Amino acid sequence: MMTLRGMKLTHLYRYHKVLSEVSLELGPGECFALFGPNGAGKTTLIKILSTLLQPTHGSIEIMGKNSREHRMEARRFLFLIGHGTFHYDDLTVLENLEFAMALRGITPSYSALMGVLDRVGIGPFALQKSRYLSTGMQKRLALAKALLAKPNLLLLDEPYVSLDEKGMKMMNDCIREFLSKGTSVLMSSHDRAKASEVSNRAGILQNKGLREVPLGELTNALF
Amino acid sequence: MPFFNVIKWIVWKDILCEMRNRENIASIFFFALNVILIFSFSFAMDRDVTQAIIPGLIWVSFGFASMLGLGKSFLSETYNDCLSYLQMAPVPKGAIYLGKLLGNLLVMVVVELFLVPLFIIFFNLNILDKLLPFLLILIFATLGICAVGTLFSALTVQTRAREVLFPLLLLPLEAPVFISAIEATAGAFRGDPIALYQHWIELLMIFDLVFIIVSYWMFEFILDA
Repeated sequence: MMTLRGMKLTHLYRYHKVLSEVSLELGPGECFALFGPNGAGKTTLIKILSTLLQPTHGSIEIMGKNSREHRMEARRFLFLIGHGTFHYDDLTVLENLEFAMALRGITPSYSALMGVLDRVGIGPFALQKSRYLSTGMQKRLALAKALLAKPNLLLLDEPYVSLDEKGMKMMNDCIREFLSKGTSVLMSSHDRAKASEVSNRAGILQNKGLREVPLGELTNALF
Repeated sequence: MPFFNVIKWIVWKDILCEMRNRENIASIFFFALNVILIFSFSFAMDRDVTQAIIPGLIWVSFGFASMLGLGKSFLSETYNDCLSYLQMAPVPKGAIYLGKLLGNLLVMVVVELFLVPLFIIFFNLNILDKLLPFLLILIFATLGICAVGTLFSALTVQTRAREVLFPLLLLPLEAPVFISAIEATAGAFRGDPIALYQHWIELLMIFDLVFIIVSYWMFEFILDA
């Protein structure tokens, strides 16, 4: 079964067409890197695939569940790390993690929570309010949530932004771990070098359409 | 995941955040306190006048103060785009609504319980023997205010004219709550037998029930709109 099937996705903001009949399929363990100039519609596509936005036309299936008819079931399988961190400033790092998992019906043990925070390098900050974390550390917390959520489909909107070298390496290590467990990953990025380290497919979103590009030709592809 | 677990976690999160930043509690409390002070110094009242106008004063201050708090109820969810996480959560959205409603209700009732003694002191009220029916009215009326307020807070949070739209939508819908609460409070403070103002309390209960059911049903469409 395909993890993700986006069929002829078209989206208009009022009268302005952003996406036109974009189709995309992702199988288990596949990592698709999405590139494109600013304003090409990468974030819009990710919002549509994460069910935050309904496409004007077209449909999405996540693990065979149509996102319009079986929205709640489809949402069970996906996790998004987006531009917003989804953290509550007044909760501690640990409480944020606990709350985020509770909303997915997961109640991890204290050791599991601390284990995943140590894994992403923010274990020592577990009892600190998330408002005091740097942007990069907030991204690590978002990654910790994804690691605990164990989704079938992981959507990453510019995952390397705000991360230092060590953080980017850790992000890629985690993506590899997800892929090895059969999770499908779709990421949008401007960092071709970093993204191609973990991706096995790539595409360029331009002129409202998606053009798949062989990984070998990615560095020379223009947009 | 069990429905009630979602409600529990949302209430836990809201109360914890509120206890740490005291944003809503402080704004509701100080607004109502200002109203009490202004009214208590504005009118030279004898006992009869006080008894006639105090129900209105109480519900004017609670009603407008609640708008400050309820308006911010979903605003806090927009920071760091937490609203999107709630939207994507694979849980019944009605449970999120009920959690937010309970969180708001707890905050409002706590503030009101601090304000009632201030009303008693500043207006020299002799209502200690009438507190029980008043508390009943207070809880049902606050529930009605919060039920509508929570829904409209979610509805207006992503609009640009939120500050204008929220009270504009809220006030007409809350009119039946205010009218019933004022009439029932007046009856209770006069020392009337409960049978004489029971119908106002029943109206409050019906209003609460209708609005909680309608809001629960509508919340999913609002969150996913």
